[in-house]
Amino acid sequence: MRRWLVLALALWSLAATAQPLDPGTIAKLLRHGPWPQAAIADPSNRVSGRPEAVAFGRALFVDARLSADGRVACVTCHKPEHGFGDGLKLGRGLAEATRNTQGLFDVRLNRWFGWDGGNDTLWGQSIRPILLPAEMGLTVAQAAAILRREPDLACGYRRAFARSPESVADEALLVDLGKALAAFQETLGGGRSPFDDFRDALAAGDRIAAARYPAAAARGAALFVGRAQCAVCHLGPAFTNREFHDIGVPFFTAGDQVDPGRHQGLRRLAENRYGLLGPYNDDPARATGLLSRQVAARHRNWGEFRVPSLRNVALTAPYMHNGSVASLRDAVRHYSELDESRLHADGDRLLRALHLSEAEIDDLVAFLDSLTGAEARAVKLAPPEPCR
Amino acid sequence: MRFSILAGLGLMLWTAPAPAADLPLFDAHLHYSHDAWERFPPERIVAMLRQAGLRRALVSSSNDEGTQMLARLAPDLILPSLRPYRSRGDVSGWTREPAIVEYLEARLARHRYVAMGEFHLYGADADLPVPRRMVELAKRHNLILHAHSDAEAVERLFAQWPEARILWAHSGFARPAAVAEMLRRHKTLWCDLAFRDDHGAGGKVAAEWRPVFAEFPDRFTIGTDTFTPERWPYVIEHAAWSRAWLNDLPKEIAERIGWRNGEALFGTGDR
Repeated sequence: MRRWLVLALALWSLAATAQPLDPGTIAKLLRHGPWPQAAIADPSNRVSGRPEAVAFGRALFVDARLSADGRVACVTCHKPEHGFGDGLKLGRGLAEATRNTQGLFDVRLNRWFGWDGGNDTLWGQSIRPILLPAEMGLTVAQAAAILRREPDLACGYRRAFARSPESVADEALLVDLGKALAAFQETLGGGRSPFDDFRDALAAGDRIAAARYPAAAARGAALFVGRAQCAVCHLGPAFTNREFHDIGVPFFTAGDQVDPGRHQGLRRLAENRYGLLGPYNDDPARATGLLSRQVAARHRNWGEFRVPSLRNVALTAPYMHNGSVASLRDAVRHYSELDESRLHADGDRLLRALHLSEAEIDDLVAFLDSLTGAEARAVKLAPPEPCR
Repeated sequence: MRFSILAGLGLMLWTAPAPAADLPLFDAHLHYSHDAWERFPPERIVAMLRQAGLRRALVSSSNDEGTQMLARLAPDLILPSLRPYRSRGDVSGWTREPAIVEYLEARLARHRYVAMGEFHLYGADADLPVPRRMVELAKRHNLILHAHSDAEAVERLFAQWPEARILWAHSGFARPAAVAEMLRRHKTLWCDLAFRDDHGAGGKVAAEWRPVFAEFPDRFTIGTDTFTPERWPYVIEHAAWSRAWLNDLPKEIAERIGWRNGEALFGTGDR
């Protein structure tokens, strides 16, 4: 009893010595929770949330037979130890890609998928690498043939979709494959982080619990929602507005080629058969496609990329659409020393160079690091159960 | 009777579609700054401009050397404009940097220009000594002012030089009604539509812009705004985008906005 009292007093003392957060800052921090968010089935995917589809998707995720050379699986680029990214500057499947591989934790919460948002469904995004020559490099017919030919895959398909792959046309089979992969990826929750404990303690008015959060991270959190205005784009429980911005990162690829980013994504979206406006959306009301119908390309979309979630961000280095920023510290420095002349000056610019001190950079990095939890750091992919 | 004839002509103007694919364009908002010429040599830029079907291009750069390289290579295509920027970093501090005046004087002594700009100038900053001196130089050399400004700064520029011809970059990102009001107030104000989408998204002229274009068919120009080197390939995309919405206007108005207004403003029609 006495030992607990001493500990409580020590924590209280720590809380008292840390810079107190003002009510406005606390209110802003509370908006980044609660976490995790409730799981909601994807209405465009009829097998979303079904255990048989999750199991089948899990098996597909690690299966290299779904590639042209039989050596590349989803997990080749989406490794658990890197937050389901790959730790590389640019992704590498059959060949090197032009963009950094994005992590998959909590991917179910996205509105658009990929750096350019060319897909509006997770299942559509899951089909894309299978068909891209630089990633897994199959044709629709090849993917369907593999699914029919391999007994364990055909077994998994039958369980997940309650029909034989022999009875399904090639493209529909590929789409189902994407939907099973999506059902699995929807289960990749990144778990809670030290920040979530801090945020919930603030919500409960629990000073003792709040004091367990490192002081540097608390100062960084205040900066994040305050002067640095990071939360303008990295907002809400997932730390993203789920939209697209130009943050002054050059977007040349090899030589003088340009990655048009969102501008290209919108073009792909309009032509995309594997999306909410295509024939494979399982939502009979098609209400989910409203935004995709309305969105139109704008000049500013040229060179814009999706605002990623910051949850578990410590696991997904390097950063930015082209992997050009090696560390969290470098990412903070990018905003601190932002080249404003690369952004369009219309008199009401969102981004300004932050001119942070070294101590402030330390604090922001400590805060960002606190968005990664033990559960995400320890996640492993168990081998799939063979389907017989 | 006169009204009905005019009304009939107006109706014809509004119903005849413009020939989109063949419409030449005058791009009144291009920059070829140091990081662009390091990536794309002048020959490549001129090829892009011609591929986009541009008849003329108003080009400025930070520093001015990029503009001069293009003007030397394609004098039939490039209209040089002088920015008060020695580097792109001057965008934010030029109004309080006296050395800018010396830079402008030196360039004006060496080269010929059709415009001063594009410069960024807001509110009361227009009356600071450096911008005032820039306006005096523009007046002495009879240059059009290409102003990325709010309405207040445009008013202050006209107060300094009532006979100035001002090309209002991005039309100040103002609402169409506010743009129209400025055009009514100032007979020597022209408006570029660079980097805004609200007037022609999806190949359709927006309802609130249509009467403004009808009232001032001779006062608008288009422009891409290549503010970073990566935006140069977008010139071609932008030309196609522009032709799409111009095609939703009567042919005569489409041609005016597409290229004739630029030719008239810069006196290049008979070159």
